Amino acid sequence: MTDAKQAIFAAIRKTLPAPAPAPTIAAELSQLRARINATRPDRVSGPADEVFLERVQSPGVAATAERINSFDEFPAAVMRYAVRHNLGLDIALQPHPDLATLNWSGCQTHDHIGTDETLAVGLALGGIAETGSLIFHSSQISPTLFAFLPLHHIVAIPYKNIWPWMEDYVASFAGKSPPRNVNFVTGASGTTDIEGALVRGAHGPGWLHIVVVGSPGL
Amino acid sequence: MNAFQGRVTAALADPTLKTAIDRTTNTARSKRAAAIAAWPEFAQARELGRDMKDHVIANMEYYLTMFEANAVKTGAKIHWARTGQEACEIVVGICKAAKAKSVTRSKSMLGEEIGLPHALEAAGIERVETDLAEHIIQLAGETPSHIIWPALHKTREQVGELFRAHHTDPGELATVEEMVSSARRNLREKFMAADVGISGANFLIADTGAICTVTNEGNAELTTTPPRVHIVTAGIEKLVPSMVEAMTMLRLLVRSATGAELTQYTTFHAGPKQPGDVDGPEEFHIVLVDAGRTTMLAEGLAEMLRCLRCGACMNHCVVYRQIGGHAYGATYPGPMGSVITPSLDGLETSQDLPRACTLNGQCHEVCPVAIPLPTLIRGWRTKAWVQGYEPLHTAWALRIWEFFALRPVLYQLASNLALRIMPLFAKGGWISKMPLAGGWTRYRDMPIPQGGSFLAQYKKRQAAK
Repeated sequence: MTDAKQAIFAAIRKTLPAPAPAPTIAAELSQLRARINATRPDRVSGPADEVFLERVQSPGVAATAERINSFDEFPAAVMRYAVRHNLGLDIALQPHPDLATLNWSGCQTHDHIGTDETLAVGLALGGIAETGSLIFHSSQISPTLFAFLPLHHIVAIPYKNIWPWMEDYVASFAGKSPPRNVNFVTGASGTTDIEGALVRGAHGPGWLHIVVVGSPGL
Repeated sequence: MNAFQGRVTAALADPTLKTAIDRTTNTARSKRAAAIAAWPEFAQARELGRDMKDHVIANMEYYLTMFEANAVKTGAKIHWARTGQEACEIVVGICKAAKAKSVTRSKSMLGEEIGLPHALEAAGIERVETDLAEHIIQLAGETPSHIIWPALHKTREQVGELFRAHHTDPGELATVEEMVSSARRNLREKFMAADVGISGANFLIADTGAICTVTNEGNAELTTTPPRVHIVTAGIEKLVPSMVEAMTMLRLLVRSATGAELTQYTTFHAGPKQPGDVDGPEEFHIVLVDAGRTTMLAEGLAEMLRCLRCGACMNHCVVYRQIGGHAYGATYPGPMGSVITPSLDGLETSQDLPRACTLNGQCHEVCPVAIPLPTLIRGWRTKAWVQGYEPLHTAWALRIWEFFALRPVLYQLASNLALRIMPLFAKGGWISKMPLAGGWTRYRDMPIPQGGSFLAQYKKRQAAK
């Protein structure tokens, strides 16, 4: 469809001049970027991990959350959640080496996700305090469907990997080649498609529980 | 009565439509208002969003070239389509090459615009709409009536009836929760069994070649991950320079659309499955579609290419909230549709749309990228007048008004006369019936004019200074 591309570009040129030199465009863009900080909602005023914990539990995001002191405590947190929600301990465990090394005795785990999985446990790459979002990069140790197929999703996130603003996350990966999927997950799946009424668990998880691991004081 | 007037009359006579529209748009307006009130920097962000989009549109060729080069590096295959038909042919061609029997589709207004649902069906490919609202209207055999809530015109009772008729084991369906649950169960296996997943793109990220989708249900990722092939159809105006600008746009888009700060799922898709990936498609195609965008540029509608498709303009439009989306008879309803449709479908056939506007300016005020919708709508009215498309009675009415307007003394006499006569038709403070005003009073009462004419009041105030 080279013809189509040429035709589209010719149609653009009918109205617009030929593109300006790249440095001119880049200079204009950097002037726009200089204005971004003044437009961000002024809400990340405290430590990013604390703001994150508050945001994920706010009515807009409506996840549940807790903080544990060390990663070793994560299986116990998962089991407490399962008991609270009356779930069995048959867990789809994200195939992440850090999760595999934990002591899951008392649970049955498998490293794949089923179509109707009840409970999946994962480890996020990081999070964003501003929006209360978890971030996943698809990979061998982070399959995308773990965040979308289960009914309950419990996710651990190291407190050090929480960026204050969305732009801080972007800056951390600038210039690197992107994974197939970058997923920002901000609360459990929901829909307002019937009369505007919010219902959780539309296609993705109906429950999202976030476990922040560690804190600056420890 | 022409086709548009016929649709409007039918919409106004529909006993449940207004209730259904109000239930969703009232919630949308109040949630948006709360989100904007909690964001004091909104005004600056809106100006920045406008300027970022203008920057991209002004340098479209540069950013399209950059996007294509970077997308190819991720392993994406890029296709270019001049028209909607060309885009459909490309998509159907990819589906056929993949020997696809079943296709899942995540909501995309561009897909609706280019007639992709119809093209897939004509090719004998099973199409499964995965967005809940699109699923509802697919079962009903209808088209979307809103760009964010396509099934906004359906009441819960009507959705219950549809699910009872079409779903396997729908259950009681006594509540909206049960309806959502039934849809989840019925679509589950379809997601996993599809050969091809088709999505749109909210943004094309030029410096990485990724495309961004936003959903609250998670249906986009379930559409794009399990199948062997992922096809993206995207308008060429969806570009942003990088993920940095995408963040500003996301803040503006989501608050304006639903009042949330971010959608539950915001995903950047870059190419097919990479070595070692456990899931993801083997093939990743991006179809870049013009379908009238460059014509809009040439017609002086570059500002319309800023549109993020948030739907705020229609939620705040006093006309849309009375007649709903189907009355517009086009893919895009409401104020943004009244600007886009005459360009896409031709002014002669869609001249009624820019006229179905009170020019109250609400749409411009709430637009997250400050598109001057009333000005663009007025532009179409001027073109319709110049090209002689105005109906005879409108043209004559305007000529009569012009006659008086050019003769101030006569104009004042006539307005004073009207001010004296109108109260004679009032009952209980409102006018429910009056000669020559049947078009108005048929659906609503008219308030009695208060005080003197504008000119009389103006003179009085000037004299008092």
